[in-house]
Amino acid sequence: MTHSITRALMLALAAMLAVSTGLAAAQEVSGGATTTAKPMSDKLEPVTQERLDGADKERTDWLQVNGGYSQTRYFPGRQINTRNVKRLRPAFIFQTQVLESMETAPLVVDGVMFLTTSYNHVHAIDATTGEEFWHYIHPMDAITVYCCGPNNRGVAALDGKLFMGTLDAKLVALDAKTGAKLWETQIEDPEMGYSETMAPVAVDGKVLIGTNGGEYGVRGFVKAFDAETGELLWTFYTIPEAGHEGIWATHDATGRNLLRDIEAEKRMLDERGSDFYKTLGGGVWMTPAVDRETDTVFFVVGNPSPDLYGDIRPGDNLYTNSMVAVDLQTGAYRWHFQYIPHDVWDLDAVSPPILTTAKGKDGKNRKVVIHGGKTGHIYVHDRETGDLIRFSEAMIPQENMWVLPTPEGARMLPGANGGVEWNPMAVNEKLNLAYAANLHQPMTYHVEPAEYPGGDRLWLGGAFKVIPGEEQWGRLAAVDIDTGEMVWHAETEQPLMGGVLATGGDLVFTGEGNGWFNAYDARSGKKLWSFQAGAGVNAPPVSYVVNGKQYIAVAAGGNTQLNFKRGNSVIVFALP
Amino acid sequence: MKKLFALVVLAACLPASAPARDAEAGREKARVCAACHGADGNSTIAQNPILAGQTARYIYMQLRDFKRGRREDPMMSPMAANLSKQDMLDLAAYYSSQKFNGQNSRGDPALVARGKAVADAALCTICHLGGFSGQNEIPRTAGQHYEYNLKQLLDFKERRRTNDAGNMTAVVRTISDEDLEAVAAYLSTLR
Repeated sequence: MTHSITRALMLALAAMLAVSTGLAAAQEVSGGATTTAKPMSDKLEPVTQERLDGADKERTDWLQVNGGYSQTRYFPGRQINTRNVKRLRPAFIFQTQVLESMETAPLVVDGVMFLTTSYNHVHAIDATTGEEFWHYIHPMDAITVYCCGPNNRGVAALDGKLFMGTLDAKLVALDAKTGAKLWETQIEDPEMGYSETMAPVAVDGKVLIGTNGGEYGVRGFVKAFDAETGELLWTFYTIPEAGHEGIWATHDATGRNLLRDIEAEKRMLDERGSDFYKTLGGGVWMTPAVDRETDTVFFVVGNPSPDLYGDIRPGDNLYTNSMVAVDLQTGAYRWHFQYIPHDVWDLDAVSPPILTTAKGKDGKNRKVVIHGGKTGHIYVHDRETGDLIRFSEAMIPQENMWVLPTPEGARMLPGANGGVEWNPMAVNEKLNLAYAANLHQPMTYHVEPAEYPGGDRLWLGGAFKVIPGEEQWGRLAAVDIDTGEMVWHAETEQPLMGGVLATGGDLVFTGEGNGWFNAYDARSGKKLWSFQAGAGVNAPPVSYVVNGKQYIAVAAGGNTQLNFKRGNSVIVFALP
Repeated sequence: MKKLFALVVLAACLPASAPARDAEAGREKARVCAACHGADGNSTIAQNPILAGQTARYIYMQLRDFKRGRREDPMMSPMAANLSKQDMLDLAAYYSSQKFNGQNSRGDPALVARGKAVADAALCTICHLGGFSGQNEIPRTAGQHYEYNLKQLLDFKERRRTNDAGNMTAVVRTISDEDLEAVAAYLSTLR
């Protein structure tokens, strides 16, 4: 009897708890309000275009998710360095309300940090204490369609505004001081598979943003919106209406045979026509780089749809799996370079392009744009023409490339997550090294023929699966971009997902899914410091200086795609 | 340009354009479903899915697929045939707002560890989210009846169910029936 009373009480209590947590969760995801905790710091000034143009060389703030328009993710601060990093300690921990995958790279402006969470929350906090100024919750529409987690990778700042892409495919502008919404624009129709997780880039009065949806049969694009009004200025479709069949390339960028049946593809094109450009995918879901001298935007384009079933999308599927350069003012095409024509492995181009210098084929330094591929190669291009100057040695094991997916599954390395996933790389230009966070996940690739199902549901045309019993691991690789050689590599227990930061203190930071956040010697790869965050550290770290003190910040929220332990924190470190 | 701007601002002020989903209207409309799915969606019949706590988007799309013949079931196809879009949205809103009570059927506990290993290798949670809680059009399968889940897995495997554009077929077709039983057992234990 006592048992049954206790049980009844416990049940009642559980029911009450369920109701209250249910309400909290509902508010979190769909509330749609800005709450102010504390008056904004009076030090916060608008991020002008001039400041953004200097962001690559910025010594105090972190003004763009990948540092500056060049996206080198290099912070020149040397206060934290190879000699003292072992004394690095948490300065504060900021906890959000959302216990889900965190891929955000915070911005820091005049001592104020702007960070985002899954489901499109934005927080403005004091970057030295973690005290909150305001908290914005995006009112999510009823219909959202996205794969691989409700992520958000951060905001862009310009002239007192912040810009965020949302899961319901909107672009939202917030007042940086108050968190109040200034305008929002519907970018595309979420019911047709469009959604946003990437951080936009703000430049010259425009906000540039691509789209997710390569798993739903979208037609990918990069769009430019007026930063003041949200008005659409131009659209570059990553799938041209005519000519997406390309040159019927038989080999990939590294010269390996793709085993395509070109004749069968051509017959298919004759039979079906080329209308499938409307559903050919080609999402752009990582932040573009911008060359302000030439007004050129560089971005990488994701996989064709459906991912693993290529028969019904004959041709090279341009510009999927490519680097593309367009005019900043008009969106006009400048050049493209395709890494994997007619991809059927979901080995799309995602890690954000980086503008830097490297030796050309003639041995002379030239301006280049580089990309770390899911293939495990770093590709070095002439920035002006797109020519591939060189590609690095494979940073992770490759096997059986390019075996075609089969119904029973064909084993190939790398697995569909890479190589280098969306993980932004970092470059230390003094050392000429690019640092890439890699995965090693042996997979089988399976094909399952499927016609376009309508945009509202996943369309993979197959599946990829890891192989039980086969080891998985991660590798932080340092690559000399003048030679393409791997100078050092550091192994990790789990595949790496998150991104890299390099600093003037000759350090390289990256996190692991098991909660370790590590600092390495930029020259040797020796691990110099680690911190256990308690949840997966699967976000790009950043660094900044406030009142003469250097900080390192990283989100520890785990990861949906690799199912790493979820958390809800941004952890900020400094020397004692 | 100004006009466009005005439109954008106006659009921002309007409520979402999708038809409103009314959980209370859904409660009324769900009376006819109660015999099979339970009054609150906590079905006690192992062959019928628990709908309490299922994602609204999934319920709506399945009802629509039954109505359009993209998914077939001798019981559900005729039930869905006469539903309007509003009916489907209301039902989805109602069931998704109900709490899963944890009183489901369970598979053999000995199978659970094996089921988890199989599910990990198949990378299920990329789509079904951590804990198999589901998201958007991807169903929550945590705590679902063993019998119902197993039937779905086998139907996908044998292409008797194809309204997911074949994604699940690709995932399960190389998994043995015994391992699928283990997966269904594992899922039934999740909360």
